Amino acid sequence: MAVQNSTGNPAGDILRYSPGHLRLRFVIDKIVGWVLLLAFLAVLFPLADMLYWVGEKALPTFTMNTLTLNQVGTGGGLHSMIVGTFIILILSTVIATGIGVLAGMYTAEFAPRRVAEAGRVAGYLLAGVPAIVLGYFGFYLLVIYTKWDYNTLAGAITLGIFMVPFVYRATDLAFVNVPHDQREGALAMGASRFQYLRRVAFPIAMPTILSGVFLAMALGMGETAPLVLTVGWSNTVPTNLLQPTGYLTGAIWNFYDFPSTYGSFQTLAFQAAFLLILIVIALNVGVQIISEHYRRKLRGLVG
Amino acid sequence: MSEPGPPEGGVPTGAAPTLPPPERLRDRITWKMVLGSPVALLPMFLLAAVAGVLLYASDLHNFGWSLWGTDWNWIPPGPGSSYGIGYFALGSVLTASLAMLLATVLSLAMAISIVVYLPVIPSRALTVVTDLLAGIPSVVFGIWGFVVLAPYFGENLEPSLRDALYWLPGFGGPAFAIGGGTGILLAVFVLTIMIIPITTAIMRESLRAVPHSAIEAGLALGATRWEVVRKVRLPMARAGIFGALFLGFGRAIGESVAVSMLIGATPQLPPSLYAGGYTIAAYILDQQDSAFAYPVLLQVLVEFALILLLISVVVNIVGHRLTRGSRNSGTLN
Repeated sequence: MAVQNSTGNPAGDILRYSPGHLRLRFVIDKIVGWVLLLAFLAVLFPLADMLYWVGEKALPTFTMNTLTLNQVGTGGGLHSMIVGTFIILILSTVIATGIGVLAGMYTAEFAPRRVAEAGRVAGYLLAGVPAIVLGYFGFYLLVIYTKWDYNTLAGAITLGIFMVPFVYRATDLAFVNVPHDQREGALAMGASRFQYLRRVAFPIAMPTILSGVFLAMALGMGETAPLVLTVGWSNTVPTNLLQPTGYLTGAIWNFYDFPSTYGSFQTLAFQAAFLLILIVIALNVGVQIISEHYRRKLRGLVG
Repeated sequence: MSEPGPPEGGVPTGAAPTLPPPERLRDRITWKMVLGSPVALLPMFLLAAVAGVLLYASDLHNFGWSLWGTDWNWIPPGPGSSYGIGYFALGSVLTASLAMLLATVLSLAMAISIVVYLPVIPSRALTVVTDLLAGIPSVVFGIWGFVVLAPYFGENLEPSLRDALYWLPGFGGPAFAIGGGTGILLAVFVLTIMIIPITTAIMRESLRAVPHSAIEAGLALGATRWEVVRKVRLPMARAGIFGALFLGFGRAIGESVAVSMLIGATPQLPPSLYAGGYTIAAYILDQQDSAFAYPVLLQVLVEFALILLLISVVVNIVGHRLTRGSRNSGTLN
């Protein structure tokens, strides 16, 4: 029968005559592939539209003044908000990295099994706590209870707590995933655990930890709710940490619903959105470069 | 990033094989700092502190059962005020569930596309792009939704949806409910787009983590790529997929800023999906100034925050348990 209807192409014969409707199954496979790709594009289209739109709105009016002027009245620039964002981000990154790396190392290397499990669950849950709840915690404890009023430090602490689980989980994962051979090798060479940690495990774990820190920074910088509730708002650069400050996400939050005819409030919001996206991209590129560098270093490709 | 646990190979964690304690003094000091330091368990303490402070700030006896009702008349705070969470909770659960359902379907499609179907270079490029999108601030999505999408939804999409799908529950309702376009549908749409990068990343990693031997076995038996996905990859990656689902729900229900900008800020029983609503998270954010001014409202909002915390903890515990259970069983079907 196969010979009778042969197309001269052996593969075609197999497709046509083998049991289990092989050709139909291949067609289904193809169709599914295209449908999934379509769904993919359907998601990417609005996202691309958003990125394009932000650029289109922000770029024509984007000048050096945007970066160097404070917001005054309904005009000016984003200077104080950029500075404020970086003050908060640096402080909270220090807090989150300190706590997260220590705790992650402890969980992966030192903790008894049960404690490690409990720590991981706690980290998982902390990562799932809504930012607004953390913000309210900061609002109650650091703004109202302490009578500090809205201040930069409260925002940094709250954001630091928000960022801890990301650093913690990355560190834990990084140390747990250090190949077992390395540990046994270090043990065989007579290394102490501290030597093992510093000389063997840490270099291997470093790229993962760093990407965790960068991820935490990107997510932290994009948070609005914890800061709205704790930092308050100001359009000048703060002179000490117990004053309120401006920040980029707050610029959008505070200015988004002014009509476009009302001064340049909406323009400022668009520019802030543009800057935020730029910084997120920079952080992402940064983490790629750094972890690639470490990978090459581990392979002995660079000094 | 999926939750860290012991990796698939079952590499033992903790202190085995045991290394000798440090000998040098400097090493010993660092050792003590890490090993004996309470800082090492801070994530646990932080979680406890957040819950503890909110519990301390709240006083459940003050409001009793009225907190669970739907009356929400509190201005001015006085004897006649009522603080019911009903409509806010309804809005939260409704928007988060719808967004989660949509995001699950779409991000599963994206993850399978990236892992199985696309050639290497587009697949890598799209992985980088989706990861990048996970970092886009929610407030940017908010302003985009408010300025661009809301007019489009109000003038084009929602009227035509209502004409076409009036028979479907939630898609009919009175015409005035559409308003300026802000409403539950818009909030769900933007929430879906917001959580897709995260759910996609988790699903992608769990689809990738399926052992090659199982995939190759399937292919060797003559299965097509799709059949391998359906019968090998999906069952074996169930853990991560459910994890992504719960994490997505948690993100959606906790999102306050974008939702507050888009949902129309009306606590009501929505007559349709086009109508305005409210969520717990968005309400907490919006009423911050009032909370600063009125101690009573501060307490009410603390209760709201506690309820939100409880929901997120429950969702995350369930997600954690589910993913761990199916990871341990790790069977082919």
